[in-house]
Amino acid sequence: MINLLKTEWLKIKNYPAFWGIMAITALSYPGINFLSYSGYQNLVHKEGQGGKIAKYVLGNPFTFPEVWHTVAYCCSFFVFIPAVIIIMLITNEYSYKTNRQNIIDGWSRRQFMTSKLIDVFIVTLIISMLCLIASIVIGFLTQKESNAGMWSLSYYMGLFALQTFSQLSLAFLVGFLVRKAFIALGIFIFYFIILENAASGILRYYNYDFRRFLPLAISNRLIPGLAFFGKFDPATYNKSFADINPHIFYTIIFTTMIWLICFRINSKRDL
Amino acid sequence: MPSCLLGMKQTIILNQINRMSSVLTLNGITKFYGRIQALNDVSFEVPEGSVFGILGPNGSGKTTLLSIILDVLKANKGNFLWFGHPGSPEQRMKIGSLLETPNFYHYLSAVNNLRITNSISGRGSDGDIADVLKKVRLYERRNSRFSTFSLGMKQRLAIAAALLGNPKVLVLDEPTNGLDPVGIAEIRQLIMELKESGHTIIMASHLLDEVEKVCTHAAILRTGVLLTTGHVEEILVDDDVIELSAANINALADLLTQLNKNVSVDTKSNTVHITFPKGTANLGEINSFCFNKGIILNHLILKKKRLEARFFELTSK
Repeated sequence: MINLLKTEWLKIKNYPAFWGIMAITALSYPGINFLSYSGYQNLVHKEGQGGKIAKYVLGNPFTFPEVWHTVAYCCSFFVFIPAVIIIMLITNEYSYKTNRQNIIDGWSRRQFMTSKLIDVFIVTLIISMLCLIASIVIGFLTQKESNAGMWSLSYYMGLFALQTFSQLSLAFLVGFLVRKAFIALGIFIFYFIILENAASGILRYYNYDFRRFLPLAISNRLIPGLAFFGKFDPATYNKSFADINPHIFYTIIFTTMIWLICFRINSKRDL
Repeated sequence: MPSCLLGMKQTIILNQINRMSSVLTLNGITKFYGRIQALNDVSFEVPEGSVFGILGPNGSGKTTLLSIILDVLKANKGNFLWFGHPGSPEQRMKIGSLLETPNFYHYLSAVNNLRITNSISGRGSDGDIADVLKKVRLYERRNSRFSTFSLGMKQRLAIAAALLGNPKVLVLDEPTNGLDPVGIAEIRQLIMELKESGHTIIMASHLLDEVEKVCTHAAILRTGVLLTTGHVEEILVDDDVIELSAANINALADLLTQLNKNVSVDTKSNTVHITFPKGTANLGEINSFCFNKGIILNHLILKKKRLEARFFELTSK
């Protein structure tokens, strides 16, 4: 395992595109949260009734412990940025034919896939750390001292990590099957931003509940909408909380399936 | 011990000795790409310490065969043994290989690419990386990105990767591809040196001159079928062809028909060719026969068919 980690590090440590996209991710994840925080501050500090209404409707989404939920929710919309890295890391191997060379040099096919699993795991870890740091910083900006319940919703960081790992695994599967970087990126981003939302909308219209089992929806349900959504539709909001536990299970099953498929195909197909 | 058991024991020992002396054994390798059969029941052995050339025209299955023994492709039928054991990652680590094209990370330097080879295979060290880069004349460009290399430089880096850690077995697919004449001569010299130091080299090539100069053994493939395999001398020599010349070649030809009916006259080179079954020609006997009959030869040689001629003969059937 250490050898796989060392080799993957050798591959990425001098890869400018990797660090470039990581820098964009490192800026965009905290950036989007600080932007939301700043927008919230402007709204609630408005003179007159507007500010008061906003404060009443929105509550305090950026104070502990709700900040864990808020930051995880905001970050979950931007998984497509690190997905670019994941797709590039796998499609590069096919473009350069280094997937073959790694096997020729002495890796087993299983070791090659494990090394890619490690890549997805490491990127998930980095993204989750960024989300964690953003939560803590924003939390302490709005609340100068710690309180006993401040960590109570920190489990959202774990849920966010699981969601990110699942969706990055899906991005990996697309890159692994398509093999061409631009086509894989196009397919994934189109699916992430447009196709699944459209499919979900159509299924909602016809009242089909299985829309929650669409590839991204399975893990999106891990992080329900922010607390103020509950003021508009309490029944749906409460149901979304009830969905979290079963969807942890579904996400783990779904992600495991993705990797089993990848390992299986890679062990059988010609390289 | 009963005699039948003794016989079995002897057979087992003989098999073991046989297996030990073969670096690679192929048993009925068959490969299909869809409906197209790329390899058809190919079997041969590569003896230890040999330079084994795999020859064939384009599309004959050379690269497919090497890809199978390196686990890049899966055979539909048949199996192969490295050092008497089924292929495994541990065995591939000990084999230096160059397959088809140089496969490296374009954004990494020569040194960093070789560090990855070292990390995966465990072959060599940082010092060895510098040594192999010097050997292939890339040391000055060691910190340049692979994407900035010319085709010849990429090929030399691939050879450096194969040589890293001085593996005892090398698999080289068209090793001189893209090299200039000096580079080709250098690689040929390198292969000769490796052969002298006891390395086993399995080399696919369509450059017959190259194979003829460096290989001890060869296998010839045509459209996935193994046509022949064995020692290069055995493949090269078919019949014994003697080339003779004298002042009057027509008189010489008439005289030689008394010895053998397979006589032909080449008026362009002013020579007579007489063919004998493999290993039966005796130059001294022919010389005294002609001398005793009053014809003095001014040219007498035993011609081996060049690999090129033999190759065309085999592959055009």
